[in-house]
Amino acid sequence: MSAPDVIVVGVGSPDRGDDAVGAAVASRVDDRYGGRVRVVTREDPTALVQLWEGARVVIVVDAVASGRTPGTVRVIEAGADAPPLPLRAFAATGRGGTHTFGLAGAVALARALGTLPARVVVVGVEAATFAYGPMSPQVSASIGAAAAAVEAELAREGIEATTCA
Amino acid sequence: MTHTLKDGGQVLNVGMLARVEGEGGMHIEIKDRTVVDVQLNIFEPPRFYEGFLRGRHYTEPPDITARICGICPVAYQSASTEAMEVICGVQTTDAIQTMRRLLYCGEWIESHALHIFMLHAPDFLGYESVLEMAEIHGDVVQMALRLKKCGNDLMETVGGRAIHPVNVRVGGFYRMPALADLMALRPALERGLEDALAAVQLVSTFDFPDMEQDYTYVSLRHPDHYPLERGAEVVASTGVRFPVAEIPLHVEEFHVAHSNALHARFDGEPFFVGPLARYTLNFDQLSPRCQEAALSAGLTETCRNPFKSIIVRCVELAYAFEEALRIIDGWTDGHAPSVPTWPRAGEGVGASEAPRGTIWHRYRVNDKGVIEDAQIVPPTSQNQSSIEMDLRTAAQQWVDLDDHALTHRCEAAIRNYDPCISCATHFLDLRVQRS
Repeated sequence: MSAPDVIVVGVGSPDRGDDAVGAAVASRVDDRYGGRVRVVTREDPTALVQLWEGARVVIVVDAVASGRTPGTVRVIEAGADAPPLPLRAFAATGRGGTHTFGLAGAVALARALGTLPARVVVVGVEAATFAYGPMSPQVSASIGAAAAAVEAELAREGIEATTCA
Repeated sequence: MTHTLKDGGQVLNVGMLARVEGEGGMHIEIKDRTVVDVQLNIFEPPRFYEGFLRGRHYTEPPDITARICGICPVAYQSASTEAMEVICGVQTTDAIQTMRRLLYCGEWIESHALHIFMLHAPDFLGYESVLEMAEIHGDVVQMALRLKKCGNDLMETVGGRAIHPVNVRVGGFYRMPALADLMALRPALERGLEDALAAVQLVSTFDFPDMEQDYTYVSLRHPDHYPLERGAEVVASTGVRFPVAEIPLHVEEFHVAHSNALHARFDGEPFFVGPLARYTLNFDQLSPRCQEAALSAGLTETCRNPFKSIIVRCVELAYAFEEALRIIDGWTDGHAPSVPTWPRAGEGVGASEAPRGTIWHRYRVNDKGVIEDAQIVPPTSQNQSSIEMDLRTAAQQWVDLDDHALTHRCEAAIRNYDPCISCATHFLDLRVQRS
């Protein structure tokens, strides 16, 4: 049975190098959970604000660029129950064009609208490249670790996989 | 940030012009309360799309050029497919043209909803960004997101993807969407039409700076409808009209030192493409309901105040919803998704009305179907001279405002164009120099 108020979403463009990791991890999770949890992908970050309205827990997988070693998986709490992300993280988003409206912008906009879910867990995978083409080997090799991070969060919600890893 | 120069003049720097698509710069020089120089500096490097289209197969431009922009990929796909079909000498079917128009409605809805509410409205409501606007006007932002979603869903259903659609090919589509899937969109589109009509009234209550410009307007025109996915001819407010194939004879691109995007002239003069031009040259082709909405919002049949482009965009947004509903209501399953094409040596021009204005492509292809020459002319590069003209007028008209207020006014004047520097090549650091 699917938990109606839990969503896993892979964000990013499948054409843009490591930005494809969100969809790749979502696909891995979807395979293992067989409909027990709603798993979707989105390319347009503005679509997240509507997607997650009314949800309680949202696990977002996205490529990040924070200067860490490519392939590093980080889990960041960004929901309404967590403190706001540092202003620097979305300094460009509100004032920037829509080309710069990313996940941080979606979180900030939903918070302003009062529709940010209680928990938004960002599973961020440090990217090496956003150029057109395939994922970098380092990020490809991190898909399993990122999927495990998602599954750990699902387990906290009492949702277990239907197949073995 | 204001700097005082040794000669007593002032330089005002804004690190990045906000709420436009892409990156570039702006330089305004004022001496003795007179604007002496205005430059739109597009410093983003050239992207060389035209160069790497050479040597590719004639079937590839719809997919390659769609990647130029995540906001208006359909504009590129429509112009490139039309040009190639001209070269191949094929006529598509009415059903294919109708479906292209429906896909284009999706792009207009996505793009106009974003620009109207996320990028442009904060200028009139006095907010730095949509984030601050959302705290007070949450209902408006929610409406914007609903409208945007309608566009995304339409693009996904017809184009296969909400961004960079993959279902478009020279000759038509890879597959036609099923009527049932289109009908599923209907309730949201009906609500979208109501929202868009309400938005026309809402934005008409904004306080508009008093500025009218004597632009040469240029737009596509079609005998049957308001121009979106194609036009039968090009018309200008000067009275000139000619077939799409002759655009390269009238529009001349040229390089200026301060911009990495080519400027353009129309019959030797600066010109204006975009919603204001389309509206003014095609008011009679709008639906009665959209005409009425425009007039009741205080517009007349022509609009020359660039700040009122936000009202015109709302009218066009409503029109796109109406068109989408009209097309879906008349659609039936069973149409062939494409017509076959074979390579033929020749040259062809295709044009469509991107949300920001007329875009045109010209290709020359050899008898093997290999592209020998490509020219892509997006709206923002054609509008650069008009943007500079508006900046000159605005900076002069409001020269007595303080630097902060003048900068804001000038930034808003640029945003009137919904410029896509990513398309023109990508945008904006603003400098006002006073001495």
